[in-house]
Amino acid sequence: MAYSAPGKADDLSPALVARWNDAIQATWDDLAALQSRFMTLDPGQLREPSRAAVKWFGDPAEPQFCIDEETARALSDWGVRGRHALHNEYCEYAVVHRRDATGKLRPKRVQVTSELREYWSAVAVADPDAVREMAARTLGFEPSWRDLYGVDDPLALDEDAREIAFGHAVAGNGNHARLQRAGVPAQPTGSLNRDNALFMTHPINGLDDLVYILLFGAHPYTVREPGGDRRPATREEIFISQNVEHLACRHADPAAAIGAHGAAIAGRTVAFADPLGMYLQSLAQDLFLIRDEVVPGEWVRWSRGQEGMRMRLEFGPGDGDDEFLDDIVVAEGASEEPLTGGYQLLKQVEIGPLVLAGATSEVREREFEDLDVPNPTITCREADVCREMVTLKREYDREQGQARVAQRVVGPVA
Amino acid sequence: MTQLQEGIYHRPGKRPGRCFAILFLRARSTDAREVGECFARLWDMYEGLKRGELRDLPGETVKPGDLTILVGIGPNAFRLTGMTRPLPAGLGDRARFLSPKPDGGGPLLRGAGLSYAVDVRENPATEELVVQAIGESELAVKRVVVETWKLLQDIADPQSASAPLETRTFYLGFQRDDGRSWIDFHDGVSNLRSEEREAVIVIDPTNVSDQEWTFGGTYLAFLRLQVDLGVWRGLERREQELLVGRDKLTGCPLVSLREDGTPVALAGCPIGGRPITATENDPIAEPPTVTDERLLRSHIQRANHHVPSPEDPSTRRVFRQGYEFLEWSPSAPGFRAGLNFVSFQDTSIRLLSMLTQPGWLGGTNFGGDPATQSEALRRLLLVYAGGVFLVPPVQDGERFPGAAAFGLA
Repeated sequence: MAYSAPGKADDLSPALVARWNDAIQATWDDLAALQSRFMTLDPGQLREPSRAAVKWFGDPAEPQFCIDEETARALSDWGVRGRHALHNEYCEYAVVHRRDATGKLRPKRVQVTSELREYWSAVAVADPDAVREMAARTLGFEPSWRDLYGVDDPLALDEDAREIAFGHAVAGNGNHARLQRAGVPAQPTGSLNRDNALFMTHPINGLDDLVYILLFGAHPYTVREPGGDRRPATREEIFISQNVEHLACRHADPAAAIGAHGAAIAGRTVAFADPLGMYLQSLAQDLFLIRDEVVPGEWVRWSRGQEGMRMRLEFGPGDGDDEFLDDIVVAEGASEEPLTGGYQLLKQVEIGPLVLAGATSEVREREFEDLDVPNPTITCREADVCREMVTLKREYDREQGQARVAQRVVGPVA
Repeated sequence: MTQLQEGIYHRPGKRPGRCFAILFLRARSTDAREVGECFARLWDMYEGLKRGELRDLPGETVKPGDLTILVGIGPNAFRLTGMTRPLPAGLGDRARFLSPKPDGGGPLLRGAGLSYAVDVRENPATEELVVQAIGESELAVKRVVVETWKLLQDIADPQSASAPLETRTFYLGFQRDDGRSWIDFHDGVSNLRSEEREAVIVIDPTNVSDQEWTFGGTYLAFLRLQVDLGVWRGLERREQELLVGRDKLTGCPLVSLREDGTPVALAGCPIGGRPITATENDPIAEPPTVTDERLLRSHIQRANHHVPSPEDPSTRRVFRQGYEFLEWSPSAPGFRAGLNFVSFQDTSIRLLSMLTQPGWLGGTNFGGDPATQSEALRRLLLVYAGGVFLVPPVQDGERFPGAAAFGLA
């Protein structure tokens, strides 16, 4: 079968649909060593498919489990620096600022995207006109070729050169070795997808990682108890056995991998539903208030995808409104705080792909994959990434000209 | 070395006692050390009760009734002068319930479908300390209430006639031996599996050094919920089942609806005709993922989206350990029935978010579609009290869990 455009957001030509499917197939083929009968690329092969719950909240988990929530909020809202360092739960955002009547620059609204860079890149390489039209519909203005490719005429470039140019300008390298070799940086250098959240660019938020994490979980991992009985492996045992314990404390990876593992243990095969994509599944809109009333519907603008498959959210007043983002109050528990950035919003947004699981089947003896993990303990605060978080916080503090964030004293990472 | 306090029955094979009391202790003194010293004496007395020793009966012993005592510290305690620990990360305003309106009622949380009863003008579960007593006999837990009063009376200042602490209120509860609740349906069937509980309950270490004293502890959330049985019994069985998500008689989870709207329970459930609460049925007691919109709006589907990896707070899983109650009421029908909802979790955000997120219990009093429900059904459950408390870990050498926060060695 062929996957449609993510969210069925774009009416693609057959040739572009084929390009997108080529990208998916290539990603799948690169992960051949991990494949098992418990995941298929073709949801049409599933018997009695039903929707599996694979979702998580979009707020960046790493600074929260390494330090605390106040720090997570400050660092995540630290402009493009925060986006590039921390927005890695398959959801990124940019805050649009405007000047108020006194001339003060204030946050006006938040753009949130969960669109995969590989999709945009596939279209950009094959059809510059199509990608410019997509960008125009997404952003509400038509970007120039230079904005999108860093050159005035991308049609004059061959496809390899276009991919590199698009990577430099708006997409980054997505951890793809070929682009890295060509000198494309991890994150784009152009302003279009830095000032705006056009699509995701954090290398972890890529199609390859999404397929990988589901595929790596889709195995009937088990552990032999001392008495000889077999039991399903735990999250810790699975992530340690695959040498990816650094992923175990995040939101996205355990949700996807352990969901697939649970299906495999029951002999079920999983697949991405059509269309393959990453979707914004819910928003607790009732928690956002303006003058003690829930924010008006026109301040919550969903786009890029059909109902149930939205990939873009623009939240906050329009340019014609007098109000600013920080006039909105977030009512969480007994707290009412101004909405100052995207972190508070993402805490109330659920993210996830559409995953299907087929009928149960008998898992044969030889299919079980027994793990032997002598010390199945993961201490999140000791993850390597926590050193990066502490360093980032120090840099943030330096830039802010203060020694502390929210009175929290951060100790050395063990 | 730290460990969870007793009174959290999360380990396999450990069942909570049949009887429950929860006391909310208000500080009359503003001095942390004075309050701490007072509670240390209470704690010593509770230790005696667990051995069957009563202060007024020296040398005698009584049946202790497998009593366990747990102490929690509320946000207000951190306003006492001389507290030596900062407010725990999980007791900030974002992790707390709203107060009732001064003239009664009002929402428990923005975005939630739960409200205070109209006659609730003050929330009595916001005091500095909470004590949970669980035992096998009514006497064992009621004795905690009375012995607390006795000791506080004995140490009261003769001038003011008050001690540094007083019992603001207490609630009693009991466990049913039929695994059901007052609405006649099975309850607590899809609680966390034993092996998942600790990861949900225990506060994990972070790199914030001033929070270290909380690591290894947990947060207790309490809600005193009244259920309007008149409204509930006014519903047809099918309506009730759609709201709950289970078959009323067997407790089996519903998986689909026939064309005429008749609910269909999971095939093969219950296994061997045994009660849904029997161990044999553990593998199927957890409701499966369903696709029918009406079933997705049922209580059990809203409360648990079957997201794997429950150690992630994103899954909104909590460990529940509630106790039913029945008490006299001056209003018809002459009694008030309900649930002492108690849950333990590493962050109360798990619970608060479950109560406010759309698709979860957000905007919903109990289950179903609030947009199509009667006003009475939207007030099926009413809140009489609610609070969140840190349950500090047991630390070697402390006079009671959390004593160091009050400046006690």
